[in-house]
Amino acid sequence: MSAASPLLRTRGLTKRYPEVTAVDDLDVEVPRGRVGLVGANGAGKTTLFRMMLGLSLPTSGHLEVVGIDVGDDPIGVRARVGFMPEHDCLPLDQTAADVVATFGEMSGLPARAARQRASDVLDLVGLDEARFRPIAGFSTGMRQRAKLAQALVADPEVVLLDEPTAGLDPMGREEMLALVARLGTFGISVLLATHLLDDVQQVCDHVVMLDAGRLVVAGGTGSLLETTGTLVLDVGAEHTAIIPALAGRGLAVAEVGGLLEVEVPDEAGLDVVRDVVAELGLPLHRMSTRLTSLDDVFLTRATPSGEGPVGADPALPEAGGQR
Amino acid sequence: MTGAVYDRGYRPYEGARGGRTAARTALWRATVRRALGLRRPWRQKVAPFVLLAIVTVPAIVNVGVKYLTRNTPASDLDFITYRDYVGVSNALLVFVALTAPDIVCPDRRQRVLPLIFARPLRGVDYVAAKVGAMFTILFAFSFLPQVVLFVGQMLVSNDGALTYLRDNAEVLWQVPAAVALLALFYAVIGVAIASLTTRRIIAGASIVGLFLITSIVSAVLVGPTEEVREGNGFGPPATTEDGGFIGPDGQSFEPGTGPQKTDTYFVVRTEPTAAPLINVPALPLILRDVVFLGEVDPDGPMSGLDNGALYAAGVYALWVGAGLVLLLRRYHEVER
Repeated sequence: MSAASPLLRTRGLTKRYPEVTAVDDLDVEVPRGRVGLVGANGAGKTTLFRMMLGLSLPTSGHLEVVGIDVGDDPIGVRARVGFMPEHDCLPLDQTAADVVATFGEMSGLPARAARQRASDVLDLVGLDEARFRPIAGFSTGMRQRAKLAQALVADPEVVLLDEPTAGLDPMGREEMLALVARLGTFGISVLLATHLLDDVQQVCDHVVMLDAGRLVVAGGTGSLLETTGTLVLDVGAEHTAIIPALAGRGLAVAEVGGLLEVEVPDEAGLDVVRDVVAELGLPLHRMSTRLTSLDDVFLTRATPSGEGPVGADPALPEAGGQR
Repeated sequence: MTGAVYDRGYRPYEGARGGRTAARTALWRATVRRALGLRRPWRQKVAPFVLLAIVTVPAIVNVGVKYLTRNTPASDLDFITYRDYVGVSNALLVFVALTAPDIVCPDRRQRVLPLIFARPLRGVDYVAAKVGAMFTILFAFSFLPQVVLFVGQMLVSNDGALTYLRDNAEVLWQVPAAVALLALFYAVIGVAIASLTTRRIIAGASIVGLFLITSIVSAVLVGPTEEVREGNGFGPPATTEDGGFIGPDGQSFEPGTGPQKTDTYFVVRTEPTAAPLINVPALPLILRDVVFLGEVDPDGPMSGLDNGALYAAGVYALWVGAGLVLLLRRYHEVER
């Protein structure tokens, strides 16, 4: 309940359906902040969300959301958590303002406050002009924004976002991620379920990876990246000078699709790369952690079936997600 | 809070928060608004307000006629009694078939239910809000015309308003009780059937179908309530095999009495039957008679049936109970 209690804490959490085990003996503690919940489709992300909201009972195990035992007080959890499902879920023949205000009231806000906050959050997500139009006429991007608005209307402690960038074009995706990133500055914790590691890498400071309902790894995004540390470098087409220069400073370099990929072991390595580029007078178009680096973490950590899941890595600071 | 000039920032909400009751009330209010077509295109407002007009007209006509005849002996004639006026119009049934699907089917079809259940409420709250909203409108639309009738008659009464009030005091509880029984029944049955499908048209047709089929089956089983027989020009026989008769102008007669010269007469059916209990849309009307008369309609086909009122109450409770159990199952928010 207090701000100190973690966003999510599970012990031996298991959800079995007749055909499949959706969540398998999950032990994880997720700090507040912006947290990515990553896994392929069917990894158990949505099931975990449903259990967090008390909409699906665990087969066994225990889970706490913002310090509240979901089994004891699902209503208390739902009062503090906003939820943005993956699928279309808004009443189509009502205006965004009406829908969001009604959901605000249903989360316990008085009618006047709900209308005011509906207006505020629709403004926040960029739907201020469209808020008096029926949702049926909204584009996919606008619907995603309206879905986010209804999750935020009651000023939750935590929002659960299930694939918020699904179906969005690149620009819409960037805007949605920018919005998600801003939520952290409002004191709202985010649990972002996605199969796109890019999304997580862009906005999350903590990551929980699931595979077939099992925990692959959990930790700060930064610390997980440091374990691979592949930089993608775009310095124009001319690579003849920089490859030997970087290699000469002890960094492994590979040319991949016109870009350079540099293995950077630590923070100091980043400075080396920057210095080399500067010394050679090359244009630095892009220097970023390779977007698939979390994929690497995933691939290297995902265990073949039969072995036990990798628990939360003790080497990774649990509070890595805190800003 | 920092931010660019264009960024109005985010204000946390520090005010009061309600719990389940607030959530349920909010859903109930939103549903009532939807059913009345408020904050929706004008097309959605037509059905509810046409219905309100249809059910109110008889009261206005009755009061108007009373006013025009207030100083004549005809002022004692009632076109409509408070009892008849409960469930007077089949427009109410059409309204149920239109509205009940509209307040539940889209929630499932458009997958709004997961969003609703992510709020601090439970399945039972959803059922209470939806059935409650339907009940509220049906109650209001059945009760308001009665108020018009009562207040109107009170004002045009020859004996003065207070005397009228005193003489008719019992309807002050009979009307709300009968109307509540009617509204609850139609609300539960309508919403329960609508909960079975995501298609409004199928739900509406199913509701109309249930009402039509059961009323037809019931009518066939009851058979004619009175029978026309040819007279012999010298009046009806002193006794009939059924024990009595009604003259052609409607009055009833003991065997052996009555008009002596008539060509046709009506034989009253005297064998009571429980078949009216099958008629779903009319079931609340049997209870209405019990509320107003203390017994089932003495002129109806159930008259004379032992414990007729009890049977009616039992069948009513069965329908309402089954409807509620079905609804709670359909809207159980927790998946096991």
